[in-house]
Amino acid sequence: MDNFLTVIAIIIGLNAAICLYRAVVGPTTQDRLLGVNIVGTKTLVVVVLVTFILAENFFLDVAFVYALLLFVVTVAVARYLEAEGWKEAA
Amino acid sequence: MSAARDIVAGALCCIGTFFFLVGTTGLLRMPDVFTRLHPSTKCDTLGACSVIVGMAVYSGWSWELCKLVVIACFLLLSSATCGHAIGRSALRRNIPYWRRQGKETGDGNGA
Repeated sequence: MDNFLTVIAIIIGLNAAICLYRAVVGPTTQDRLLGVNIVGTKTLVVVVLVTFILAENFFLDVAFVYALLLFVVTVAVARYLEAEGWKEAA
Repeated sequence: MSAARDIVAGALCCIGTFFFLVGTTGLLRMPDVFTRLHPSTKCDTLGACSVIVGMAVYSGWSWELCKLVVIACFLLLSSATCGHAIGRSALRRNIPYWRRQGKETGDGNGA
């Protein structure tokens, strides 16, 4: 089962590396934010898998704090860009 | 009993990985930020929650099960909220929509 979980984690990590393409060359800022959000979610899943590969329970707390930080960062940057748009429209 | 649990957890992990692949494909191939929001939020909710629920099945009745269920519920809420925030900021910045160009099929990267 450990080898299977390692293979799953490696596949998800490669997916995250491919998603970095959208975060680098995305034509708009919102595309970059979306790419960073996806990479963060995949990293969260990899951390959850590493918890059971290494049998270290404290990684789950790391995953939980990572989910909270990802949510706050995405909403904050989205609201910042939105406020800038209001200034343009006025 | 343990073998059945492993099989269910492995099946859920495979389902989650499949939806991650689908989300990555949609994120790379969709032409617009509004259409890219669709596969990416699917990827978040369905893929990540499948893998996390699979790990909850694998861990059995323990304290980790409680934490994993909390993480999965939070991800269900936060992913939809993040998608909505990004879409609203794109709408208020007046980012142009993608239109089909003439009779040609789109090249997949035009915006």
